[in-house]
Amino acid sequence: MRKIFSLTILFSLLASHVLAQSEKIDKKYIKPQIIMPQEDIEFEDYVRREPQIYDPYEKVNRKIYTFNDYFDRYFFEHVARAYKGGVPSPVRRGIRNFVTNLGLPMSAINSFAQGKVDNGLATISNFLINSTVGVLGIFNVAGEKGIIYRGEDFGQTMGHYGVNSGPYLVVPFLGPSSSRDFGGWVFDKGISPTGFNVLDIGNKENFIQSEYRLGINSLTAIDIRASLLEIVDDVRRESFDPYATVRSAYLQKRISEIQY
Amino acid sequence: MKKLLTLAIFALLPFQAFAQKADKEQVQIFVEGVGGKIISIANEKVSESKKKEKIIAIIDSVIDADWIAHFVLGKNYKTATDVQRNKFVKLYRDFMINTYGPKFKNYNGRKFIVNEVVEQGSFSVAKAEFLPRDSNVPISVDFRVKKRSDKLVIVDFIAEGISLIETQRSEFNSAITQEGMDGFLVRLEERVNKLKKGEAN
Repeated sequence: MRKIFSLTILFSLLASHVLAQSEKIDKKYIKPQIIMPQEDIEFEDYVRREPQIYDPYEKVNRKIYTFNDYFDRYFFEHVARAYKGGVPSPVRRGIRNFVTNLGLPMSAINSFAQGKVDNGLATISNFLINSTVGVLGIFNVAGEKGIIYRGEDFGQTMGHYGVNSGPYLVVPFLGPSSSRDFGGWVFDKGISPTGFNVLDIGNKENFIQSEYRLGINSLTAIDIRASLLEIVDDVRRESFDPYATVRSAYLQKRISEIQY
Repeated sequence: MKKLLTLAIFALLPFQAFAQKADKEQVQIFVEGVGGKIISIANEKVSESKKKEKIIAIIDSVIDADWIAHFVLGKNYKTATDVQRNKFVKLYRDFMINTYGPKFKNYNGRKFIVNEVVEQGSFSVAKAEFLPRDSNVPISVDFRVKKRSDKLVIVDFIAEGISLIETQRSEFNSAITQEGMDGFLVRLEERVNKLKKGEAN
């Protein structure tokens, strides 16, 4: 009963996100007007490719961005630096492989949902090989054998079927997102045994009990932040408006991931 | 007459195809040449400042900074006065080469290859791969190239689907909206001065 209840809540949350954004886009969305000199028709290609920035909550988003930035500067960045400086590189690689491996089943499901059978199978073989031969995913044996896959999430699956990104969002502690991608994240995390596990996959008897989940998710977050140390430093130092830089980069990256 | 014309068109067709192919090869040679030069300088055993200077000179000679400046100003180009435009274009060149040039001095990798060249409108995109010295995972970067008066020039670097100039346009546009064109130009000038003195890197 609890499962059905949780699932219903999850789906309705997601549906409301998708519906809300599609309505808002129809009514409010105005294509950005880029005025280009006529002699430069070559600019057109870029105008076509330009990510459609739809940021109706910019004021609130900027406040959350500032909050996240403070949280990061005074706490999380230091954690990531300590991790990078204090944990030897082979151990960090093992941790990255381990947390990445745990996310592969969800990634494979999303691949299949998009009809990307080859990528789905490659993802599954990575999971099976690395979980066994690679000792619970610590060693990326499949990757070294050349079995390459691309990660997929539910935001990408929705994008694949034509759901627009919707309003750009900055989520407290998580950073840049959009209503579609945040909805997708809630869905992925909701189902995943290492996330909220609303389906109670694997019961509570095995290693993905709730107390381990916090550890796994914290490690994932620290690993991601540590991998972004230089990029974030560059943006902070070089950008005339870091909020706009991150927004543009995020939206472009998502478009490219979905188009692939 | 009509027959003759048709014949002439058919006779020219293969040349047309050949011309395009040659272009792709030209782009590949050009981008591989640029990448090769950067890697060889990055691997040289000279002082960091000398490396930086050499790489900045290369970047300056292969990018079309005026075109990019025009592009990144986007809709603000139309509303800017001539004085503002000229000032921006002049500052932008220094900003671009001094911000991004020094980053390449760390590209002391093992290999730089162009996997393919694709045509996109009036641009060619060279899909390149760079293999760092300490890793087996190649980094992919796309170079957007165009022909400017018979010379090939680079107008964009695209890493992981993120275009440098699109991101910059979005950033500059947002900054100009908030502080006005003149306010932005003051900040840009301050930055360029710092970069030239080597303080901002």
